[in-house]
Amino acid sequence: MSLINEKKDFGIIANLIPSNASVIDVGCNDGSLLEYLKKHKNIDGRGMEIDQKKVQLCLAKGISVIEGDADKDLYDYPDKIFDYSILTYTLQATKRPKTVMQQLVRISKKAIISFPNFGHWKIGASLLLNRKMPVSEKLSYSWHETPNLHFCTINDFIDLCDEINITIEKSGNLSNKNLEKFHGKNFMDSYFNEVGLFLVSKD
Amino acid sequence: MSTACGRNKNAAKEVVETAKLSCEAVFFWKNYMSENKIVTLAEDAPLILDGGASLSKFKTAYTTYGTLNEKKNNAILVCHALTGDQFVASDHPITKKSGWWSMVVGPNKSIDTNKFFVICPNVIGGCMGSTGPKEINPESKKEFATDFPVVTIADMVRAQKLLIDYLKIEKIFCVTGGSMGGMLVLEWLSKFPEMVHSAIPIATATNHSAQNIALNELARQSIMADPNWQSGNYYHTDKKPLKGLSVARMAAHISYLSKEALQSKFGRNLQDKNSLDYSFDADFQIESYLRHQGFTFVDRFDANSYLYITRAMDYFDVSSTHNGSLVEAFKNTKSKILCVSFTSDWLYPTSENKKIVKVFNSLGLNVSFIEIETDGGHDSFLLEEPKFFEAIKGFVNSTYENL
Repeated sequence: MSLINEKKDFGIIANLIPSNASVIDVGCNDGSLLEYLKKHKNIDGRGMEIDQKKVQLCLAKGISVIEGDADKDLYDYPDKIFDYSILTYTLQATKRPKTVMQQLVRISKKAIISFPNFGHWKIGASLLLNRKMPVSEKLSYSWHETPNLHFCTINDFIDLCDEINITIEKSGNLSNKNLEKFHGKNFMDSYFNEVGLFLVSKD
Repeated sequence: MSTACGRNKNAAKEVVETAKLSCEAVFFWKNYMSENKIVTLAEDAPLILDGGASLSKFKTAYTTYGTLNEKKNNAILVCHALTGDQFVASDHPITKKSGWWSMVVGPNKSIDTNKFFVICPNVIGGCMGSTGPKEINPESKKEFATDFPVVTIADMVRAQKLLIDYLKIEKIFCVTGGSMGGMLVLEWLSKFPEMVHSAIPIATATNHSAQNIALNELARQSIMADPNWQSGNYYHTDKKPLKGLSVARMAAHISYLSKEALQSKFGRNLQDKNSLDYSFDADFQIESYLRHQGFTFVDRFDANSYLYITRAMDYFDVSSTHNGSLVEAFKNTKSKILCVSFTSDWLYPTSENKKIVKVFNSLGLNVSFIEIETDGGHDSFLLEEPKFFEAIKGFVNSTYENL
């Protein structure tokens, strides 16, 4: 899940966040994104990470981090305590993605969520031609050892937002710099974006 | 002649060099090793205790390690647990064993005394030199014994604050401690938030559960049931409540360990024998171990102190002076905090430590939390736990760099 460790992606996320915002990065890895946002946007950042080795790395960097599980520990935060929550490349590894999304928009004013788009044409082609679960740079695990539990496509994600009354404010593709709003369930969007990136909120 | 003179010169130079070296060595040694110091505090105004009584001109015994820098921003206050004392990183004068946290505090350790100025006071009510039941009551000129007023965790913190004032430190860089030490940390965060830059409460709770109180009561009753306790007035007799104190320690010691650790260390192994004795001798290794824990403890601890300090822990509830609200208790706290718990600790379990984290989270504080996986039980914070050491080091150093 090293996808997000690309400065370009950090830049796109940083552009979504105003200076001095309070931010929680759920599944914050080694804290690189929070560090980047602190440097470029002077955010007041917090992390949550399930892997203790990465928690230790955050502590050594001076990042405030909770060793915790997105499925269980978001309940511990009061409503709208953060300006922004970030969930990059983690949604598909949660047990209950719907509940996690509901918690994110509860604890923060806006949530930034990114995930690998299972609707990408390469994945479809791989399934169609090889009859095997796709393994690629961005989906690097074999089916039997993947931590990913719930894959979805961009269209699935948009449907879920509709279902639980979450407003999509912006959306785009993490792998290029264009962060335009997807126009509804545009066929081509789900086809050509390897990663879905959404800025969502719920009052 | 000239050669001899030269040799003499060389010899003299050598002596000077050696002296210099040994001076440096002594300096280094002194820098690291702390001497026990005792200071009289509350000389102008008495310390008013939660129970209504007051203490004036009370003594605090403490140790320090490292050097306070010019900015006075490198002080770390280490708070000891129930049966701990000020000998955090130096050999204990009675047991001759190394300090109770010498794996954590020292040169190049997680709390690096080359960098930080570490202060560790013995709590009031204790028995290693701070004013407590075995010290002389200046009014009666006799030991306080049970005339010593009941003190609380907050009283201990107020007393520590006077020591910090005496040392002319306005803001402590970090306050840390495990178990009861963690309660002292929480009380510092609540009572004197502006004086605490960062804090590490370890394996602790915001108050004592019924189970915690029950275990302490068991310990107290075993002391008081010993006829040698003599209502606390045993200091000038040749009978001391050693059996009662020993049983108290045995009971407490079980609560510090996990079932898994006890099982793997002792199981049902027999002590120096191949078959059961059909008697009440220590047949099992665990019995022998506990008895050893009990009778070595009485050499270094005062039975009355045990009563007073366990009482303070039972009375502890950091929210009690804030209408029961933890959020109120910590509303002025701005410190950066790291909470630590251990998976096999059933005395102050992860759930209790997470309650603390939740409160700090709801206040939007800079709080971190880590749960160390170990079968060491509650005592893990005193044991060789590399991941625990790493977390402390990472937090303390990065916080100091970002001062």
